[in-house]
Amino acid sequence: MDDFQAEEEQTTFVVEEVSKIVKESVEATIGGNTYQHNRVNQWTTSVVEQCLSQLSKLGKSFKYIVTCVIMQKNGAGLQTANACFWDNTTDGSCAVRWENKSMYCIVTVFGLAI
Amino acid sequence: MSDLLRDRAMKKEKKIGKAPSDSGYKPKDGRPKDSISTVSNVEDPLHHDDNTRLPTENTYQLGPYKRHSVPVITEILKDVLTCYLQHDTYEAEWSRQMTKTLCEVIRARVKEQMIPRYKIVVIVNIGQLGGQGMQISSRCLWDATNDTFATYSFKNSSLFGLAIVYVVYVE
Repeated sequence: MDDFQAEEEQTTFVVEEVSKIVKESVEATIGGNTYQHNRVNQWTTSVVEQCLSQLSKLGKSFKYIVTCVIMQKNGAGLQTANACFWDNTTDGSCAVRWENKSMYCIVTVFGLAI
Repeated sequence: MSDLLRDRAMKKEKKIGKAPSDSGYKPKDGRPKDSISTVSNVEDPLHHDDNTRLPTENTYQLGPYKRHSVPVITEILKDVLTCYLQHDTYEAEWSRQMTKTLCEVIRARVKEQMIPRYKIVVIVNIGQLGGQGMQISSRCLWDATNDTFATYSFKNSSLFGLAIVYVVYVE
């Protein structure tokens, strides 16, 4: 029974640990900053790369897709949706929405089992 | 093996939906919180009932026999976005429905390519043009020889639409 559960942990997408990784990456990169156009490129890259390196350290047999949107708060609207064709038992996604006074940051992680 | 895969959850499609979200993130050092975050994920009712992954036989297939063509997918995205968004203005409720519709249409069109052993992820963003600054980036941890992506962005006088498709090979 323990072996089965351990094996299951290896091949299912666990939302809690992924969202924790994402929140830490976002907070570390842009926590406490205001939106700056000339730095936002570097911020998105940094958030995404940090997330990806932490996810690969989990050591699970998953392929990951991480997307980050940073948008200045301006009153403008944004809608985002996704549709996936995958294996429900093993694959999953997690979207983390973070905001402060000057910007929104939305990070989506898709985990696809090999 | 491919029969088993076909019979099981591989065919199941699902859309993203609203789900219970987590409470805000609390910084460890105790300074006043000036940011909040929420988490959402797909809660599929059948996801937990059917948790056992079916053991599959070896196919001895080392790579895909047929790959996705990026220009073909880009053409699909261009066609769908232009056709649906050309004459419209941004409205919150309408664009919420439209993003979901576009996702499903694009997914169906990419599936029509009938390329086996590929998983598909489609992301559609529709936003209002309000002079705000924005940056969207993504990175993937995958096998670059077999997996790929395509994107297309569309703009008219009041809104922009961005579609991204990732196709991922299943070994």
